[in-house]
Amino acid sequence: MRRLRPLAAALALAALAAGCGTGPKKTQITIQRFFGECGAVYGHSIDVGAAEGECGIVTTLINRFQSENPDIKVDVNVVAWPGYPQLTAQIAAGDPPDLVTMHQSVISDYQGRNLLEPMDGVLREAGIGPDAITPAGLRGVTKAGHLYGMAWDTIGGLFHVNTRLFAEAGLMRDGKPVLPTSADELLAQARQFKARTGKPYLVQSEVSDAASFVRNFYGYVIAQGGLLFPDRRHARFATPEGARVVQLFRTIEQEKLTTLNQDTPAAIASFMNGEGGIYPTGTWMIGAFDQEAKTPGRPLAGAYQVYPYPHLWGHDAAFVDGHAWVMPKRSRSPEERAAVVRFLRFMAAHNFDWTRTGHLPAFRAVYANPAFGALPHRRDIAPMAAFGVQLPGYVQRQSAIQGLLGEELTSAVTGAKPIDRALRDGERRVDELLDQIP
Amino acid sequence: MNPRARLSPLALAGVTLGAAIMLAPLLWTILLSLKANSELMRDTASAFSGPYTLENYRAILVGSSVTHWLLNSLIVSLGTTAGVLVLCSLAGYGFARLDFPFRRSLFVFVLLGLAIPEQAVILPRHQLFAWLHLHNSYPGLILPGLVAPFGVFFMTQYFRALPAELDEAAMLDGASRFTLFWKVLLPLTRPAQATLGVFTFLGSWNDYWWPLISATRSARFTLTVGLASAQMNYAQTSGLGFLMAQAVFASLPILIVYIIFQKQIVAAMAGAAVR
Amino acid sequence: MSGRRDRLAGFAFVGPFLALYAFLLIYPLFMGIGLSFHRADLFGARRFVGLENYARAFADPIAWQALWNTFKLTVLIVLPLTAITLALALALNRATRSAAIFRGIFFASSILSVTIVTLIWRFILTPDAGLVAKIVTALGGTPPAFLSDPNLTIPALAITTIWWSVGFPMMLFLAGLQQIPADMYEAAALDNAGPWTRLLRITLPSLRRTLILVVMLQTAAQLQLFGQAQLLTAGGPSGASRPVVLLIFEVAFGRWELGYAAALAELLFLLVLSVTLIQYWAVGRAAKDER
Repeated sequence: MRRLRPLAAALALAALAAGCGTGPKKTQITIQRFFGECGAVYGHSIDVGAAEGECGIVTTLINRFQSENPDIKVDVNVVAWPGYPQLTAQIAAGDPPDLVTMHQSVISDYQGRNLLEPMDGVLREAGIGPDAITPAGLRGVTKAGHLYGMAWDTIGGLFHVNTRLFAEAGLMRDGKPVLPTSADELLAQARQFKARTGKPYLVQSEVSDAASFVRNFYGYVIAQGGLLFPDRRHARFATPEGARVVQLFRTIEQEKLTTLNQDTPAAIASFMNGEGGIYPTGTWMIGAFDQEAKTPGRPLAGAYQVYPYPHLWGHDAAFVDGHAWVMPKRSRSPEERAAVVRFLRFMAAHNFDWTRTGHLPAFRAVYANPAFGALPHRRDIAPMAAFGVQLPGYVQRQSAIQGLLGEELTSAVTGAKPIDRALRDGERRVDELLDQIP
Repeated sequence: MNPRARLSPLALAGVTLGAAIMLAPLLWTILLSLKANSELMRDTASAFSGPYTLENYRAILVGSSVTHWLLNSLIVSLGTTAGVLVLCSLAGYGFARLDFPFRRSLFVFVLLGLAIPEQAVILPRHQLFAWLHLHNSYPGLILPGLVAPFGVFFMTQYFRALPAELDEAAMLDGASRFTLFWKVLLPLTRPAQATLGVFTFLGSWNDYWWPLISATRSARFTLTVGLASAQMNYAQTSGLGFLMAQAVFASLPILIVYIIFQKQIVAAMAGAAVR
Repeated sequence: MSGRRDRLAGFAFVGPFLALYAFLLIYPLFMGIGLSFHRADLFGARRFVGLENYARAFADPIAWQALWNTFKLTVLIVLPLTAITLALALALNRATRSAAIFRGIFFASSILSVTIVTLIWRFILTPDAGLVAKIVTALGGTPPAFLSDPNLTIPALAITTIWWSVGFPMMLFLAGLQQIPADMYEAAALDNAGPWTRLLRITLPSLRRTLILVVMLQTAAQLQLFGQAQLLTAGGPSGASRPVVLLIFEVAFGRWELGYAAALAELLFLLVLSVTLIQYWAVGRAAKDER
């Protein structure tokens, strides 16, 4: 014991000495994001062009920002998707990050409690005016007349189609898949598909994927002109429009025109292995499926196309969401604020790179960029940026609502509960939830 | 030990089957970790046949944060274990051997803590630690684990079982209470220390909810939280091999320690007095 | 004189633990109780509402579903786990090398963390890519949908938890077995007692205290099951495998209803406390009847 003391003292002195003399203090900002951790593949790479996928592209983008701005120290905090329990805990503890990725549908929760900084000033300094953003993006980040985030993309549901199976089913015309224009047509085509190919028309992830049920429901109810949230305290799901949508999916389920019991990884694998005709998932899968389509010998090789959800009732509409960069309320020095401004300017300038993930860009300039049009499938899905809608801005707790409604919709579609009761239960539970908001 | 009896064939079959069920998931995980991600994406049954690769492990060693999370988990678990052993030994001796007012009531008071579920206190505790600025720190992760009513109960029982003559002998020699504790009785509690130590270490190692909401910055991620954060939405499809390799890699140090010290651990637990 | 020294020494020894205990467990417990009488969110908003949260809990079918799930899980886990670990301890309580190896194998799963265990078992149970599915398909059957069929998700969680938890109770039983004095068995041998008689008349009664300890500890632990439910089945489908603790987590962090979450947590506390006390009392009664 005694002999260790001088040694400990020496070590302490050495540590102190090492700590000193590291040069001028850098401004440090903490950036928190989901999208996963892929340091093993991308490490400190700044080659954005070569990166693939959400994780790869955002990692290389931030690395590149760091290398182009050596006077700023960027501390990247990767959290498990969707990161909201952690963010909530951080805010409750008084120590949130400087910037954090947030779904546009969630902004109203934090903004409604005054936990986010309005970003009009910051965005203006970064050279981003409201006219630079797409209508869908702008709708997503504007709350109570102010901008609370930098819109980064628009994400929505798409019909990913296996054209080889469609050809087998006799549903191809002029090189494009024949998509239904009404609910009855969809059932007829689905039955035809199954009869001719022996495979289910749809590949669906029904397990632990509330978002997909809710997306289908919201989108088609809005298309029929239904009003899901008449005011901030009430939901209306048990309507004829709502029942119609759920009934369609229930029929598909009953006639086994869809895959069953799959969670998201299983559904992705299933579609890639050519086990179904259409996988109604989102923009984020375009990159992965396109990759498959380019790989010779794979079931999807040369047989992949993607379109917005078909128009089945009412008018064209799609339920969309998007990602945004938001600033939690905290004290920031002028240098830190300036660093945030630089980061936002950088990310806005590189929005095209981000859209290689498959998400639709939030910046108008990117649509005008010919390289964007040249990206596979983008022309087919671009219309969604026009008719994509979100829930009204006064609707809070959208992710919690999605969880509750998703549970009830799952019960209804799988037949565990009668449709009417499930929708009414969903309404009741959501009303209770909304009632609790101060 | 019961050296005479031989296991009946039925019992032997049962135990072997049980062992197979225990090992099969682990072997499956290892197999998955030795396959390329792209192959697994198509069909996980490809894990049953070659080719196998060490690519996933190379990727971990090169760039993953698993080692960092492992280190954090080790620091927190070791710190918690050391703290619990110290505090509970002291308290156990006090309750078992010393007479002071309210001793019995205080002991029951501590025992009641066994029935308090973590969830009844975790949210207020989060607030408390926020006021004290203890989040995202090692003390913040260690302190909650030091509140171990089971540890006090366990050590008290053990101390009680030690013969009182030892106390009398030492007191006659003029030893202080502390010397009696430190020099005479504590060394005799080694098996209990080992048992409680293993139990505490594992509890801390596997802790999930508290680190999730307290260690929110990646610098302090423990293993449980870090592994959860590493999963992209679709990592289980496109990066399964790598994910499994991370799981294996994260378990390796503990597994190695366990294999090396297995004899001692088992002996300690077998010898621990559950009186 | 030594009496007073004793008293001071006594407080000095138990003081550090008691201080932490009071500060980090009792104080938050009372804070939580207070919180349960308010409508509160995680960011400071507070409004006193008396017993409203408790009334809501009693009227909430989701809370009752969670309670029922918790009960099912606890029974499905504790009973088989106790039986299996007791049987293992009996079988492996010998000094052979193979017994040592087997003991090691059965303890190995306990050292893994919950995220790893659920990751492993996801790829055993999932009907598409899981090990069980591959084996069942190879044998010509349809793989059961363990993670999505409402009747199978709770058994799935139970199997995973049992696999994970075998080690420690087995060790406790082994420790208990080794304290049984050898002369009791010798006396039985003299009476020509068979193996079953030995088991029922000597072994099990001597193991009573360990048995009680194992059952009580495991019950308290499984009543608070959380990680596996969140990570393996997300409490689904539609809450079919959502235990009370997962509900508390979702209410607190998903719905931001801190007061309601606190009320649910206090109700859980009462549940664990009463179950523990009932077990203690029932054991005490049985002991009295024996005498």
